[in-house]
Amino acid sequence: MLPKRSQAECYPPDMEKSPDDAALLARIREDAPGAFDEFVARFGGRIYAFGMKFCGEREDAKDVLQDTLFQAYRSLGQLEHAEALTSWLYRVAANACLMIRRKGKFEPEREISLEELLPSPQQDLRVQIPDPTALPHEDAVRAETKARVQKAIGDLPAAYRIVLVMRDMEQLSTQEVAEALGLEISAVKMRLHRARLMVRKSLEASYAADAAGRGPA
Amino acid sequence: MNGRHAHGGPECVALFAKLSEFLDGELDPTACAGVEAHMADCERCRDFLESLRRAVAHVASMETPELPEHFKRDILSAYAKTRGSS
Repeated sequence: MLPKRSQAECYPPDMEKSPDDAALLARIREDAPGAFDEFVARFGGRIYAFGMKFCGEREDAKDVLQDTLFQAYRSLGQLEHAEALTSWLYRVAANACLMIRRKGKFEPEREISLEELLPSPQQDLRVQIPDPTALPHEDAVRAETKARVQKAIGDLPAAYRIVLVMRDMEQLSTQEVAEALGLEISAVKMRLHRARLMVRKSLEASYAADAAGRGPA
Repeated sequence: MNGRHAHGGPECVALFAKLSEFLDGELDPTACAGVEAHMADCERCRDFLESLRRAVAHVASMETPELPEHFKRDILSAYAKTRGSS
């Protein structure tokens, strides 16, 4: 039986929310000297990483970072509660990702149905995807695995990819993702599940193709 | 375990929709116990769940890209210019 993972094990709570957010927000409202530098030092790395995970390109991620920091800094004075800062920044960053990709919005043309992701009765479901905790230490194996995972994430439609990146990579809570993207909690859960199923399907196909190429042992 | 029911029935399909919530520990205790009982009885669902768990773990273990120092300098410099021109 698989051990069931608790929410706390899967997603460390509120990793970077700092009690200093309120103080920083106050300094930004006053446009105090050095406030922008402090803002960049506090959030720049996280926003850049988010842009990289979503866009996959360094220059795109840099544009996301710059657009987010400038726009956020101009508008942060309107933010009433420092507790909402993280979701608010992710909302600005998500919009910046959209502008980079010129997709317009995160609404999919249609929601992907679960039936499309159900395995067929004939499909071999024996696990082909390697356990990430048991990967060999060779750099080549790890780089190859990373490339497969990156491709699987990059191939997701934007509406699903943004939820996966926020939830499983940035480790935001479902509530924070819902606030950042203006979605209902149920929609976040639905898109996260479909995104994970699509990644699973992509990885499985990738490893199955390798196994077929090797032929019988 | 070989399973005591035919995989692919309505029970398996209904469970398919709940797997992420199960992995995230978000199901209520009754639903969670239902999934666990089904998994004990259905090898294909168990295999599918394990492959999904591994896929999620791969995504979660992707490394976090570092912000290059020169990108940071460029942005601080661009900000200083906009301040100077305003």
